Amino acid sequence: MIRFEKVSKTYPGQARAALEQVSVDIEKGEFVFLVGQSGSGKSTFLRLILREYRASEGRVYVAGKEISRLAGWKVPRLRRQIGTVFQDFRLLQNKTVAENVAFALQVIGKSRSQINELVPETLELVGLDGKEDRLPDELSGGEQQRVAIARAFVNRPMILIADEPTGNLDPNTSIGIMKLLDRINRTGTTVLMATHDAGIVDQMRKRVIELEDGRVVRDQARGIYGYQN
Amino acid sequence: MQLRHVFSELVQGLRRNLTMHIAVVLTLFVSLTLVGLGLLLNSEADKAEQRFGDLNQIIVSLCNENSRTPQCSGEVTDAQREAILKVVDENPEVSGYRVETQEQAYDKAQELFSDDYLAKLLKGLGPESLRESVWIDLKERDEFKGIASEVGGLDGVYSVRDNRKIVEPVFKTLDTFRIGAYFIAGFLIFAALLLVANTIRLAAFARRREIGIMRLVGASSLYISLPFLLEALVTALFGVVLAGGTLAAFMQFGIKERISEQIQFLPWIGWPDYVEALGWIAIIGPLLTVVPTLLLTRKYLKV
Repeated sequence: MIRFEKVSKTYPGQARAALEQVSVDIEKGEFVFLVGQSGSGKSTFLRLILREYRASEGRVYVAGKEISRLAGWKVPRLRRQIGTVFQDFRLLQNKTVAENVAFALQVIGKSRSQINELVPETLELVGLDGKEDRLPDELSGGEQQRVAIARAFVNRPMILIADEPTGNLDPNTSIGIMKLLDRINRTGTTVLMATHDAGIVDQMRKRVIELEDGRVVRDQARGIYGYQN
Repeated sequence: MQLRHVFSELVQGLRRNLTMHIAVVLTLFVSLTLVGLGLLLNSEADKAEQRFGDLNQIIVSLCNENSRTPQCSGEVTDAQREAILKVVDENPEVSGYRVETQEQAYDKAQELFSDDYLAKLLKGLGPESLRESVWIDLKERDEFKGIASEVGGLDGVYSVRDNRKIVEPVFKTLDTFRIGAYFIAGFLIFAALLLVANTIRLAAFARRREIGIMRLVGASSLYISLPFLLEALVTALFGVVLAGGTLAAFMQFGIKERISEQIQFLPWIGWPDYVEALGWIAIIGPLLTVVPTLLLTRKYLKV
């Protein structure tokens, strides 16, 4: 589903590479943790998958396509296959829960009947049924993150990328979010999650890829967090 | 693509940035009005030029059957005409010439004064009441005395008109106004462009969250920039409508009801000229807002 072949990325004006000779293969339906210190290259790794940047060297395959060479106008189509969740939720404060989720479908041109079907279904999946008409600031952090996950998943993407999704949440709430991501993973969606949360990684026992200074230093099935913050 | 969403974004965008949009509309309005005014003055200069000839021209009128002057004894004869044209042809000051027959003169007068009181006069007269004429183009603007006096003394010549004496001040005034209009319009257009650029920057900043999410979930570039383009079009439309209205008022109350009544020796521009000028500003206005929007959305939205 995601394959990096000797991928390096150096940002313009910087001597040190953010990623160096990274080769990773993530199968369809896998759940993978991406761990490493701040500045180890996790975000760059995720951004290359989203084609926010092009790799300086090597090849990045997403869903069978080599995306470094993808024409700019085809990038939106790629991103429709990837859902993304962030630490800071990134919800639209003036829209209700349902509108926030529907927005993701509206802007890619889904019909109203599709929206009317998918939005309630997805809100139910993330456990927010009954809260459709709330505004984001009327919700707890965990609930807001559920809205963000619903928005990322409403289009049924093949890949879900989560960049520190529990970073702003307390441990109990984090567990709820992880259960939700696990449930999404069980629908066949590949989940790739960057995190600093040792407890979660140790508990979930999923594949762990550790980056250090832009290199893969560990790739372990059913791994643990494995280093001190 | 959901048009409803695009239009609600458009309305929101216009409202959010209302003062900036008003500033854009007003500068566009004034600059387009000036451009339109310049175009109308251009048409007016063309009309006057058609009537009075180019500033590098002198016009030799030949005798018609009613002419009674020392050099005219009835209509110009073929031999006289030949002699006159020979002199014109051989004169070194002349760069070219053409002969306008009485019929052509009549047709032209009918066209020029179509909506004028002179038209009524013309109807009573036939082509034979007008004069055949030779329109002489000069090489140098100021070297015309030789040819004027040489031709002026020939038989069959009724008069040599140097239209510049009458028309030059008119042309000069028109030119001054026209250049002034374009000059000020140039500055205002520059200001309009800056305002458009700033408006887009503000709008992109105000909507950066939405835009970020749209990019993330895979909205197409067109979809993301469409509200911006529509905003640009709407402001341009307002500018064009206001300028068009002002120019129409200028045509009606300025030209039709005042100036053309007072200065009747000149043919005046009419509604067809207005429509032409309106056409141009209807093209220029949207270009002024849409082109910078296209360029800047690429930059600010990174779509």
